[in-house]
Amino acid sequence: MSDTNGVLHVGIDLGTSHSAISASNGARHVVDSYIGWPMDMVARKVLKKSVLIGREALENRTMLDLRRPLERGLIKEGSGKDAAAVHELLRHLLTLVGVRPDDPERPQVRAVVGVPAEALRVSKQHLRQAMKGTADRLMIVSEPFTVAYGLEALLHTLVIDIGAGTTDFCVMNGHYPTDEDQRTLELAGDAVDFRLAALLRECHPEAQFSIHMVREWKEQWSFVGAPTARAMVTMPVAGKPTRLDITNEIRTACESLVPPVSETMLELVARVEPEYQEKVRHNITLAGGGSQIFGLGAALEQALVEVGGGRVQMVSDVVFAGADGGLALALDAVDTDWEQLVM
Amino acid sequence: MDTHNDIKRRLLREVMQDNLATYTAAPPLPPAVHTGWAVVGKMLLVAMAVVLLPVDNMSTVISTVIEPQSEIPIATVIEAPRETPQPALVTAPPPKALSQADESAPEQRVAALGPPHVEAPPLAYQEPFPASEEVGNAKPTFLAPTLIDLAVLPLEVRKIVIDPGHGGKDIGTSTPGGLAEKEVTLDIGIRLRHLLEQAAFEVVMTRDKDETVPLRQRTALANTQGADLFVSIHLNWIDGGQIRGIETYYLGPTEDPMLLQLAAQENRDSGYALADFRKLLDYIYLSVRRDESRRLAESVQRTLVTALRRQYPALANRGVKTAPFAVLVGTEMPAVLAEVTCLSHPEEARLLATPQYRQDIAQALWQGIRAYAQALNRFPKISQERRLTHE
Repeated sequence: MSDTNGVLHVGIDLGTSHSAISASNGARHVVDSYIGWPMDMVARKVLKKSVLIGREALENRTMLDLRRPLERGLIKEGSGKDAAAVHELLRHLLTLVGVRPDDPERPQVRAVVGVPAEALRVSKQHLRQAMKGTADRLMIVSEPFTVAYGLEALLHTLVIDIGAGTTDFCVMNGHYPTDEDQRTLELAGDAVDFRLAALLRECHPEAQFSIHMVREWKEQWSFVGAPTARAMVTMPVAGKPTRLDITNEIRTACESLVPPVSETMLELVARVEPEYQEKVRHNITLAGGGSQIFGLGAALEQALVEVGGGRVQMVSDVVFAGADGGLALALDAVDTDWEQLVM
Repeated sequence: MDTHNDIKRRLLREVMQDNLATYTAAPPLPPAVHTGWAVVGKMLLVAMAVVLLPVDNMSTVISTVIEPQSEIPIATVIEAPRETPQPALVTAPPPKALSQADESAPEQRVAALGPPHVEAPPLAYQEPFPASEEVGNAKPTFLAPTLIDLAVLPLEVRKIVIDPGHGGKDIGTSTPGGLAEKEVTLDIGIRLRHLLEQAAFEVVMTRDKDETVPLRQRTALANTQGADLFVSIHLNWIDGGQIRGIETYYLGPTEDPMLLQLAAQENRDSGYALADFRKLLDYIYLSVRRDESRRLAESVQRTLVTALRRQYPALANRGVKTAPFAVLVGTEMPAVLAEVTCLSHPEEARLLATPQYRQDIAQALWQGIRAYAQALNRFPKISQERRLTHE
């Protein structure tokens, strides 16, 4: 299970919506970032589990105290329950790659965890607390940096990681990015969901839907620009399943991301040394679930036209780009480094 | 030219440094000082000195400031000691040396700041307002302004701007345990907002998340919003970790050379040009605003000390003081800057990490603001009663 000398390296992308882990033993998993505890004795008896995680938790949410503990990619502050939920999520992720956290014989776990680009030090400390008892060594890095590191895009590149809670920007200039090189927008997938839900309520006041349904529709149909197909969904209207065309609402909600992302992208490019700006403009990488919004890359390229043009490409593996980058970093760090990062 | 592997090695080294800094919670380096800003800072110092010092000392000060008596480059002059967590702008925690001002001689305090820009102006040292129980009886250093009878003005407090100090890149002070001033001030500010909103005040926050907001933007927000009060929340840092106390500032002149130097230093990134600053300085002696700021400062200081001492008797009352902080200069309404406690004191830092203590502080601030507002809002009614009596 461990790679060498009883050590297992892992890269973890803790996301508001999904969390992914890549391990040096080759295992890779992704789970929905939901944790739920049965609400009462009946629920416990039906579910036969003390805690449910991921899709299973979401599907049984009516019987659970359901938590989505990562707000804007970080543990919600001031909630012991959410901290406990993150702990459970981390334990679960490690279990998925073969580590039994309570096993005294388990390998030493060296984890690299990505956090939003502008995460506070206190937030990192919270994360460190939550990791106690699951990992033995911990390195916390900026999420878009892990993506860049995994892609070996270390020089003159800009990574835009659009998650559920945050959109993170990071210019790579051969150094570990500082605050000057990074930005975090709290406008991302969740904001699109809420916008879409509001639009649907406005256009179809009789329709009944939950935010989970809205999220699924967005994941299936999201696009900006010209539609390639009509977004047809089924939802109850006055209790009767009804087929509705939500193409325009989807487009409006998704396009709400374009101006802030474009502006931040252009602002960061403008901060790059003048002789490298063109290189950076032509090396922009979109990552994260939000990068799957159809036509978003083209819309950002359109925004780049006014400053001389550029190229925006998507990572090939949206789900694991962050976790894989974290794993690459974990494997590249030498033993002496890891020894300084004892939990 | 670095090879790809060189870059990777460097990145790993920097990642390690960043992580170790988080682990050990080493304070961040102060922001780099650029020569351009240093010049602006110097100009601001001149402007402050011109306006804030007594006339008979002015010529000496101007000549002292304009003709530096040292060979030290300007950039070196303005840069703060690197081991001190220096806020970028007007920051509450006076640098360590300043914070110790109350206990040491002025010469020692000037020396403690490192190589001075200029020699301290030849002014007679005057103690800051005494840290007494009688918060409202601060010793005036200038002629008291003529009070306007508020009964003639239907003044009311409706809109309050809360300014959580620091934010974003400007972390403020921080403890070895990683507790950062910018986070504590934001939390207290949000708690205070809830309390004020429950009491039907309209509240505007200069920031409600962790972001860098220039001082100029903060004051502009307060001014354009037509706010009635401006309350800036900060934490103090006093070297040595022995002192825990509360002090509240409002705008006014000071003859303390340390405070002048501090003002120049801390106002340097305020975003104001000299011309703007001169206009702003016109506001300084508007007596009503100044006097109302003092009343508000006294009210806030009183409730902070009373409420928190009830639970933590060791808290020192460091008094109501005046200082030319840019957020106080730039605002057009009564404005105070409260150093709600000292993050440098280990016990205070421990308490500040607890939500209850932050709530206590917010509650005390709220009580202070409410007491001030109630007193002000009562005036028209009282005057009406008086009028009726006379009739």
